Amino acid sequence: MNRLTTLLTQRLRRDWLQLTLWIGGTMALAFAGLSGAANTYGTEQERTALLATVMANPVILLFRGLPSGPGEQAFIVFLLMPFLVMMAAFMSSFLAVRHTRGDEEAGRLELVAATRAGRAVPTVATVVHGVLANVLLGILVAAAFLAGGSPAEGSWLAGFTAACGGLTFLGVALLAAQLMRTSRGANSLAVWVLVVSFFVAGIGNAAGTPSDDLTHMESSWLTWLSPFGWAENTRAFDENLWWPALLCLAAFVVFAGAALALQTVRDLGASIVPERRGRAAARPALSSTTALVTRLASGSTIGWMAGAFFAGALSTSLGSVVNEMGSDNPAVADMLKALSAEADLEQAVVVVFFTMVGLLAACAGVQTVARARQEEAHGTAEPVLATPVERVRWLADFVVIGFIAIVLTCAAAFLGAWAGAAGLDNGADLTSDAFVAAWGQVVAASVFLVLTAVVFTIAPRWTIPLGWTLVTAAIVFGLFGPLLGLPEWVTNLSPFSVAPVPSGNEVDLRGLWWLLLAVAVGAAASFTLMRRRELASAG
Amino acid sequence: MSTVIVTSGLTKHYGRVHALDGLDLTVEEGQVHGFLGPNGAGKSTTIRVLLGLARKTGGEASVFGLQPWRDAVKIHRRVAYIPGDVSVWPNLSGGEAIDLLTRLRGASRHDKTYLDEKARLLEAFQFDPRKKGRAYSKGNRQKVALIAAFAVPADLYILDEPTSGLDPLMDVMFRREVARVHAAGATVLLSSHILSEVEQLCDRVSIIRAGRIVESGTLADMRHLTRTEVSFEGTDAAPVAALAAAHDALVEDGRVRFTVDSDQVTGVLPELSRLGVEGLRVAPPSLEELFLRHYGDDLAALEGNGR
Repeated sequence: MNRLTTLLTQRLRRDWLQLTLWIGGTMALAFAGLSGAANTYGTEQERTALLATVMANPVILLFRGLPSGPGEQAFIVFLLMPFLVMMAAFMSSFLAVRHTRGDEEAGRLELVAATRAGRAVPTVATVVHGVLANVLLGILVAAAFLAGGSPAEGSWLAGFTAACGGLTFLGVALLAAQLMRTSRGANSLAVWVLVVSFFVAGIGNAAGTPSDDLTHMESSWLTWLSPFGWAENTRAFDENLWWPALLCLAAFVVFAGAALALQTVRDLGASIVPERRGRAAARPALSSTTALVTRLASGSTIGWMAGAFFAGALSTSLGSVVNEMGSDNPAVADMLKALSAEADLEQAVVVVFFTMVGLLAACAGVQTVARARQEEAHGTAEPVLATPVERVRWLADFVVIGFIAIVLTCAAAFLGAWAGAAGLDNGADLTSDAFVAAWGQVVAASVFLVLTAVVFTIAPRWTIPLGWTLVTAAIVFGLFGPLLGLPEWVTNLSPFSVAPVPSGNEVDLRGLWWLLLAVAVGAAASFTLMRRRELASAG
Repeated sequence: MSTVIVTSGLTKHYGRVHALDGLDLTVEEGQVHGFLGPNGAGKSTTIRVLLGLARKTGGEASVFGLQPWRDAVKIHRRVAYIPGDVSVWPNLSGGEAIDLLTRLRGASRHDKTYLDEKARLLEAFQFDPRKKGRAYSKGNRQKVALIAAFAVPADLYILDEPTSGLDPLMDVMFRREVARVHAAGATVLLSSHILSEVEQLCDRVSIIRAGRIVESGTLADMRHLTRTEVSFEGTDAAPVAALAAAHDALVEDGRVRFTVDSDQVTGVLPELSRLGVEGLRVAPPSLEELFLRHYGDDLAALEGNGR
């Protein structure tokens, strides 16, 4: 017992800040969701109308939970539950891998396992640690609901569900850590399982059977394959079913048991799935820094492109649903028109979604340039720059590949928009709107690309934090500025809010020339400064 | 014979820290030049300045008569480099990393000589090129840099503590490679704190301390300046103490020990023969002693702290 508490204390000490952030964040999400939904969908009539919209266009269910009636709390659970479970699941997955495969790969487990702790106790300590974290998360989520004046049983069930969902993925990640040789491999496997489960539940819900009054959805069989589906089927504040959450708990017990069993039969440092071997010699193409940067950036860029494709598809397909709803239900049409200042509702939806695409594109670009700093800090830039490679050329590769990542991300969104608009009456119009908006966002996102490059040349250590902070600040100012009541000039500081957009049949250029000027100046400045910049290797 | 590397009064400041403080280093063509000093003495900083990866604060530096910062790329065309702390890309295999680095240095994948040379080195260093970078130990990461450096011929090899993490067998292979490129006429700057390595490989040595060169020359020259230790079996130091050339005579563990200026050794031998000593041992100064002469006070300070 003593060994276990020692290891447990060490885990809590190492994680307290991270866990505080995760658990606090999840609680804050529940709390903010409660007050936000109360403001936006204040009346039962509004909630019933929105649920009816959802039933008409089940694609929305990919990103939401299971409709369980128009009651105030049940409606919030519909909006939030998948994300509460997702927070708990991410927290638990990273926690599990960090203390098992992560320690093992870094050689720390070897030190610990050579003491009286042995091979099994560290894993058991990680399990206990993960259970404690999820119990605390569950209690605080319940507390957030209770503090918002929700009924007790539903509140406790909501907290219990979030915790059980988290525990399932604690089990998944513990098992992944046994299967894969590296913590990176284990984390990716766990996250893949998480993402696939999320969408399996969503697709299963979308394919479900709506009730006659269009307020409830009966999940299809597909949903029952996913822990997210079990969690959503507890229907807190509606039917208050506890047994689906027990499925999550059972899955945790099975996965964690399997992980402990595998732990006892394998050698330290070994894995059940042998690591894939790489190529003995590089492909012919891998012979320049351009090829190297492409290789480094391609994986993450594909991720951003997939996200952008989805956002693009929603931008056109959702707009049509909004119109359908409008013709079926005049009350909803009035409400939606009030929400949007634009006369043309569908065009407004395209513009809003492409602002999000711009954000994804900016992330793709910033991440690519931030790799220059990672290469430098990690030490792999030094041998490359000691070969006949120009400093400026080296940085330019990151900037150019980053720009290509931005263009590809926006192009993926346009493709999505085109696919979403297929078969619509006004599909051609919406597609051309998407085309204009996509190009506008290429320019806006490029501003972040060159700003990150400038930071890299002036203050290398700040490249990664400052690059991402700029993107975040632009989102806050640009997307939420009008909502927060910030003055217009502050909102307009965000490249996203001055990018060219379609307006009727015209193109509103807005700040295009300013954006282009910023990109040109930034690119020139970073290349000029790079001429005089020496290698800044140390942390 | 022409000069490959020259620095004079070279300085490099990082804020208030003077990493290089008036460094004068000369490396002639065809030399294997040992660059000796403990961690933090300025070895890696010197190398980074020579490669144009860091900019000098003051003084002069030239490589092949070119200025390192301005003509970095021209210099790099003729240089093979092994960094002090080798990192590899986590998602590239060792073989891919080697190919990338050599191709950046101009190797062609159709070049039979390169392919043969790479195959020979992979074999010699017992290196598995198919593992992913993150799976390599320190020694194996070092091998990536070694193979990439030696697989393509260069005029100047700059090696920053190249054998750290290698086992003794691989050390032998490394020394063979240095001997091979030396025989081919290349110049080698070998930074190290492993004295036996420098003693075996280098024909000239520069000792760096706190950003300055404190001693530079051939090992023979440097030995000349120090005393040789002589000892034999015995319990009485008096006859030896009477010799004019002998210094610091004493008895220790049943042996008489004393030191002689290195150029006086032959003069002392007839005297010892007359005394009929047994178990005679004449030890020329090791590089370690030369080194400790310059770092003796540091050592004393460390021992003082330990007490």
